[in-house]
Amino acid sequence: MNFPISLAFVPQGHFTQPYLALPCLKAWLRDKGFEDVEQRDLSIEAYDYFLSPEYLRRAQRRVQERLPLEAYRGRNSLPFAELRAFRSAAESAVSADAVIADIHDAKAVLRGEDFYDVERYVPAVRTLYHGLRLVSAAHFPSELTPHNFTMGYANDRSEEVLAATLDEDQNPFIEFYRERVLPGLIERKPRLFGLSVVYGSQLIPALTLGRLVKEALPDCHVTAGGGFLAYIGEKLMSAPGVEACLDSMIFHEGEAPMGQLAEALSASDASQPVDLSEIGSLTWFRRANDATETVANAPAHPVALGEAPPPDFDGLPLDLYFSPQVVLPYDINRGCYYGECTFCTLPTVIGPGYRTRAAETIAGHITDLRDRHGVQHFSFITDCMPPGMIRDLPEALIEAQPGVPVEDRMKWWCDARIEAKAYTREGAARLFEAGCRKLLFGFESATPRLLKLMRKAQSPRSVADVARNCSDAGISVTLYAMVGFPSETVEEARATVNFIREHKDIVREVSLQTFHIDEVAEIYRNPEPFGIEILSGDGDLQLYHDYLSEQGMTQQQAAEMFDEMMNALRSDLPIFSGDNIYYFMQKSHYFLHLARGTTPDEFVAQCKARTDSHNTPGPHGHLQANPARSSVTLPFSHVAAANTLADPLARAARPDFLTGRFVADAQTVAEEQLPPLPPKNRVLLYDKIGHEFVELSPDGQRLLQAIDRAGGVAEFLEALPPTAPEAIERITGFISQLQRQGLIANTAAAPVTSTPSTPEPQPAPL
Amino acid sequence: MDEKRETEEQETPQADGPSEANEKALDVESLDLTIETVEDRINPSETNVFDK
Repeated sequence: MNFPISLAFVPQGHFTQPYLALPCLKAWLRDKGFEDVEQRDLSIEAYDYFLSPEYLRRAQRRVQERLPLEAYRGRNSLPFAELRAFRSAAESAVSADAVIADIHDAKAVLRGEDFYDVERYVPAVRTLYHGLRLVSAAHFPSELTPHNFTMGYANDRSEEVLAATLDEDQNPFIEFYRERVLPGLIERKPRLFGLSVVYGSQLIPALTLGRLVKEALPDCHVTAGGGFLAYIGEKLMSAPGVEACLDSMIFHEGEAPMGQLAEALSASDASQPVDLSEIGSLTWFRRANDATETVANAPAHPVALGEAPPPDFDGLPLDLYFSPQVVLPYDINRGCYYGECTFCTLPTVIGPGYRTRAAETIAGHITDLRDRHGVQHFSFITDCMPPGMIRDLPEALIEAQPGVPVEDRMKWWCDARIEAKAYTREGAARLFEAGCRKLLFGFESATPRLLKLMRKAQSPRSVADVARNCSDAGISVTLYAMVGFPSETVEEARATVNFIREHKDIVREVSLQTFHIDEVAEIYRNPEPFGIEILSGDGDLQLYHDYLSEQGMTQQQAAEMFDEMMNALRSDLPIFSGDNIYYFMQKSHYFLHLARGTTPDEFVAQCKARTDSHNTPGPHGHLQANPARSSVTLPFSHVAAANTLADPLARAARPDFLTGRFVADAQTVAEEQLPPLPPKNRVLLYDKIGHEFVELSPDGQRLLQAIDRAGGVAEFLEALPPTAPEAIERITGFISQLQRQGLIANTAAAPVTSTPSTPEPQPAPL
Repeated sequence: MDEKRETEEQETPQADGPSEANEKALDVESLDLTIETVEDRINPSETNVFDK
């Protein structure tokens, strides 16, 4: 059938692996006879485009124009409102050249065998993070990280969202789409264009692209769907102006509506209006003359998952993701067989009911995907596996790989629910044999009272038993934990941390989040049993709500407790300590080590050794100042700015990570309560090898330069004039700290290599 | 901005003069030797794999 369809997963999603939505749609459409389906992961394409030397060089020039550091010199104080811009200006000034020089290699490290060398991995990840800071500074106040994209526009107000789609100065995706996406689409001329919007961070980029495509291809029907739109789609489709970006929206799972939409459009003349009222789960704009009417169709029947085709990843750029081996997502089931937790609204996103594929089907599908794409690793997309599946799937997976030794079988990880009767010692051992290397359990809290209120139907004891059985079998255990559930006290939150600490030998990672109330949750519809009063908001797309609790922590106290808990976890869990946390933050990266044969105990020991080595002086030898560094003098402390911006009051003034909300008045409160910075002469340095920022006083900078001129630490100390022993002790202590930060290196042990730099003017004489 | 930046590969002994002379310029007994690192490079609120 000659009916070109294009599907796009829009920025921003994580950059380590593909998402599942488009491959499911492509497979379904192909089964329905639509062979010409192009799927593009524009999120990874955008990351790759932005994180290139050419783009970053342009970003550097933009930052110099938009956020000149000179603007801060000679000031008497720096108020809270200017701290983010100052920090962005300072970091960009000192790091841009080094980031640009190393960005290509950094991506190669993450995509290659060097990924497994922590001394290459961590600087490479930092380089990507700092590259994204440069991209963000070039579009200030927008912020693109590996985990989020936010702008200065509120995500819960349609007027602001639509304005953001037109802001050429702050929206980096407008140029990306024009340069890298639109030309191909114009040439291809799809009749149907689908936007996948799973997260709030994708909303503005999706509508931005929808608008551009509708302008360039008036005959192309632009639709959108995905998890985030299941929450706010109804409101969005009622907002004035959205019809300039979209023609329709699909709610819940997209296969059946997308197939029917393609059939309806392919059977009609592109230039004529089509009646779409029979397509289930579709809300669409009926356009007549100059009028636009929003039409919401009845819900479609859920897909019979057992009969659905396996996802089709053909056409996705599997080599572009920032992982040495791609981890493919695969949906073993949809919905949640348990479905009782009072805080959870995930079943709402996918659609009604619980549906599953048979264990033998799953094993057959992933074996086929392995053979087709040459992959060995999978993340099973599931809220949790029911006990029967925990029993049957391992058998099916092992049977599908006859004669393959345990270590060579396909490896996988997934979310899970505490099922004490299924995750027995024998059950866990069988899961390991079948390739399971990591399970993430919903733990939430160590307080039985709260667990009952959440209707989790689990006890802390059962969590410990399941975690022990899995850990003993060699499966790494991650716990999801929550802080701030209504009525939770400070003591109860600390009990959660204490539980994790007491079980740190079997719990390797924790995904901690603060509690939020969205409009779909039971707790929103029925707040009384939870002792809360839900506050109304005024954003027309508002999904999340503030609330007042009759007892327990306030939302502010919960935000502060989040910090306390996170600090405790970072202190006690080796994978969370220091820079090791990057493994946790990059989706499957820790899993890839497990899949390669490293045991959780071995990985934890490596992390612990690395953290310890950074806290102790390095070996003696010929210590020299690391020549691969750059510096910039600052009129205010960069660290003080960063610390102020880390204050919960300051964080509240930024859109929340999970919800994307701008909390009302938070900026005003932060400006009133957080004191401005006093002037302070500081020097910000950037270690071009470790890719770390370090701040010194001008004295510290002079001392480092003096070590340079002396030719080494020993030579510098020998040449000192008679000096009080206390001063010598201070200097050697300082040198030890510099060594830990990579600014002093033992050249006898590991020769320092200098990266090229452009000659620049000399600093003022000391 | 460029004229404010210092790239220390350029700070050769020749440019700055004999090291001994420079060390004498340092009042080593009253130096402010604070050193601070930025822990915020990892935003704790983003240490959350739940939704991404």
